[in-house]
Amino acid sequence: MTLRRVIGRLRALASRRRLDRELENEILAHLELAERDALARGLSAEEARRAARLRFGGVEKMKEEHRDQRSFRGIETLLRDLRYGLASLRRAPGFTATVVSVLALGIGANVAMFSVVDAVLLRPLPFPQPDRIVRVWEAPRPGVVNATSTPDFLDWQRLASPVFEALSAEQSISAALTGPADAIRLAGKAVTPDYFRVFSTGALLGRTFVPEDGRPGAAPVIVLSHAAWQNVFGGDPGILRRRPILDGEPRQVVGVLPPGAFDRDETRFWKPLILLPDQQVRDIHWLTVYGRLRGGVSVARAAERMQAIYAALADTRSVHDREGAIVVEPLARLLVGSGLRRSILVAFGAVALVLLIACANVVNLLLARAASRGRELAVRAALGASRGRLVAQLLTESLLLCLLGGVAGAATAALLIRAASSILAQSLPFTADVRLDLRVVSFAGAVVLGVALLAGTLPALRASFGNLAASLNRTGRGSSGVHARMRRAIVVSEVALSLVLVMSALLLLRSLLNLQQIDTGVHIKNVITMSLDLPAAAYPAPGNAARFYQALSQRLAAAPGVSQAGLSTCLPLEWISNGEAIVLPGVSELLRVRFKRVDPGYFHALGIPVLAGRGITAGDREGAPRVMVINQALASRLAELGRMQDPVGRVVRVSTPGYLETKVFIPEVRIVGVIRSERVSSPGDPDPPVVYVPLAQAPSPQVKLVIRTALATAAVMPAIREAVRDVDPNLPLGDIATMQQVRDRTLWGVSRPAGLIGAFALVAVLLTATGLYGVLAHTVTLQRREIGIRMALGARSAAVLSQVLRHALRLVAVGLAFGLLGTVALTRVMKSLLFEVSPLDPVALAAACASMALLGLLAGFLPARRAAGVDPADTLREEG
Amino acid sequence: MSKSQSEVPYGTLDLLILKTLEAMGTLHGYAIARRIEQVSGDALQLSQGSVHPALIRLEQQGWIRTEWGISETNRKVKFYSLTRAGRKQLLVEVANWEKTAALVARFLEPAG
Repeated sequence: MTLRRVIGRLRALASRRRLDRELENEILAHLELAERDALARGLSAEEARRAARLRFGGVEKMKEEHRDQRSFRGIETLLRDLRYGLASLRRAPGFTATVVSVLALGIGANVAMFSVVDAVLLRPLPFPQPDRIVRVWEAPRPGVVNATSTPDFLDWQRLASPVFEALSAEQSISAALTGPADAIRLAGKAVTPDYFRVFSTGALLGRTFVPEDGRPGAAPVIVLSHAAWQNVFGGDPGILRRRPILDGEPRQVVGVLPPGAFDRDETRFWKPLILLPDQQVRDIHWLTVYGRLRGGVSVARAAERMQAIYAALADTRSVHDREGAIVVEPLARLLVGSGLRRSILVAFGAVALVLLIACANVVNLLLARAASRGRELAVRAALGASRGRLVAQLLTESLLLCLLGGVAGAATAALLIRAASSILAQSLPFTADVRLDLRVVSFAGAVVLGVALLAGTLPALRASFGNLAASLNRTGRGSSGVHARMRRAIVVSEVALSLVLVMSALLLLRSLLNLQQIDTGVHIKNVITMSLDLPAAAYPAPGNAARFYQALSQRLAAAPGVSQAGLSTCLPLEWISNGEAIVLPGVSELLRVRFKRVDPGYFHALGIPVLAGRGITAGDREGAPRVMVINQALASRLAELGRMQDPVGRVVRVSTPGYLETKVFIPEVRIVGVIRSERVSSPGDPDPPVVYVPLAQAPSPQVKLVIRTALATAAVMPAIREAVRDVDPNLPLGDIATMQQVRDRTLWGVSRPAGLIGAFALVAVLLTATGLYGVLAHTVTLQRREIGIRMALGARSAAVLSQVLRHALRLVAVGLAFGLLGTVALTRVMKSLLFEVSPLDPVALAAACASMALLGLLAGFLPARRAAGVDPADTLREEG
Repeated sequence: MSKSQSEVPYGTLDLLILKTLEAMGTLHGYAIARRIEQVSGDALQLSQGSVHPALIRLEQQGWIRTEWGISETNRKVKFYSLTRAGRKQLLVEVANWEKTAALVARFLEPAG
């Protein structure tokens, strides 16, 4: 076909109405002329008209051929079908609205969920060559990973340059920003200058760090995140000339990062990490190391190289740290743990089931509609429309419906993503940018097409292959037996799919209830927590900090609304860093423990009972004999080792981190008491051994405040702030959370999928109920006559009612049988998400089945009542 | 119908229309159909309607042009005439036809 004709055809497509009109006119003119000639040959008027038409040939066939010649017939037909489809959908607004909203729900939930899958699992991390970014861990024992010491890091940096383009170390910090406004706390990171090279991130304004920034004695500088520049400094264009005061020290802003991934992290600023000579201690593991592999270097090769370095440095390490390894882990795997991946995939699976149910519902609605349109289709077929044309027409209609549903679904997805944005930000890694982009929209398009094919083909084929004559003769009494059977089969599968979802939701709910009931060992109600950091400039020595904490404790205890106050380096239920150990007299082996520094109020505020000896008292201050309290888990571990049946009063050595300098002391400490274990790790794990050292004897610049109060958080916070301000006006409080929130955060891994799948199950149940209702209502309509006759013969309305309900329950029962098979098939997947619940928990199973049966009764009730209310005289007359 | 009639040979309708327009100048659709029938001595069984799809195709190819005129029955109709490209195309079509006819004729010659 020449280009000229393509253009001509396209133009014809655009002006097809005018061309149709012109063609009509040409045909008329042609026939007139032919008729005139025929008259001239002496034929009668009637004969002339007949002859003219005869000579002309088939008018409609010629028109089709004309359209075919002048433009693309497929497109013209499609456009005509679309117009026809739109008109027929407009004639049935109720049907259209139902289908579109069912699809909007199904497609919307799927698209929203896919955008999460895409952001977390599919899209590469938002850094250049992200697969080259790795985390480097030390693994002193199999299954345990540890941070890195300064000398080790420097050795790695020196020796591993053949495999790493850049290797950087970081430490999370936070700093008080003071200025004209109230002091606020900013989360930040101290990083070695190569940090931004590892992530290949340049500066939007100014520069990132250069090697000189990391030398001892360098001028204090910081780099800000884009979000910090915008939100904290109001997007000040002169930001590079500002020197904000962080922890009492003015620091020059040298750069602002471009907007992006780092804005979703909590880090607001970066400062150079200056590795001082006195930090060169191999036993203190405190750095987090990230590296960028050189091009072409595999993770395995890097790991091999690191292992060789580790082995070469073995004799520099203390005897306890020798049998370890080094783990090189891709950043992507570090950010997306297997737990998160599993939750996301399970939720995606659940939402796909919802879409299947939505499809089943749409098929059902389309079948019902096709049944009621049987006559219309039969008439069109009788007028010469081919089966292919009818199928195409019906498919176009369902495609239209699905497109409408898809658009509504995309809007729903956008709303869902916006509504869930804060939850998403909390539970996804900072690199995940959840949004509706081209990829997600193309996914939505694929889903729409899939749904249209899935939901449209069956009804279209059914409708077009129905018996023409039968349809024409039937007086709108509806569908054939095959038809009804198919609709019942669809409802049965809906019930089955719903059962799987309801069952999963109930299992997760039970698992959540189990978690709520686990004993955390601490008081949860009426406890609020917050954090506080002491700037090194104002509190240079441990003594300064100890005096501050003492004053703060006294002031807090007297604050109105505060009934008890405690201080600790770690919150209960939250992870305590490991790495400390105790040395038992006469034993060379270290006993690894978790290490927590607490003030005298801590055990009281959290209601932790002392089982033996005493707790920590105000007398355990700096200069007094060193003491510590251990938890029950450690006491039984000691007993197990056969060393100490009664640990109270015994003296051991404990590695104790220093105050600001990263030195470790190993003082002798007397065990003065045993407390009941508080939970410090995720549920299901055994309690780790923990030692509690008086905060006054080993102060830390970072503490958490634990406040017991009868008041609400907002009501008591002013008094707490004032108490802190009284002791030091420059200290902002951060991370304010109730103990309940802390606890929920710890349980988040379980509660998150429970909530999501619960919501999906609810939607599924609602969809199934509508599907069931539709089928039953339709059946009742079809059986009106039969019911009328039976009632005329003396059947009671109660019998009719129960017949319809029995029908509903039969459908549900068959669905449940299939659903149970599905549930059994899913046992393995569910097992990993459950806490102390069997995946085939009989209670959950019974509840799921019972609720589906109830659903069947509810969906059947309206149609049943309608059936029971049939007036025999009416039905017999109307069909007469 | 005692006279033996044959259908328009496949692909020759374009040629017939172009030739007709070359001979007769400007004609409307009915006149073209009539003329083809007359020239063939009514030996062709032409559905007169079939000239219309052919005409729109030739027009889109740029071989014929249309203008509006008034028919003998006082109706506004399209009149068709050859364009310069159409004259060239006619030569091509004629040459093609002769080639085809010669080829077929050679097959039909008695062998030897």
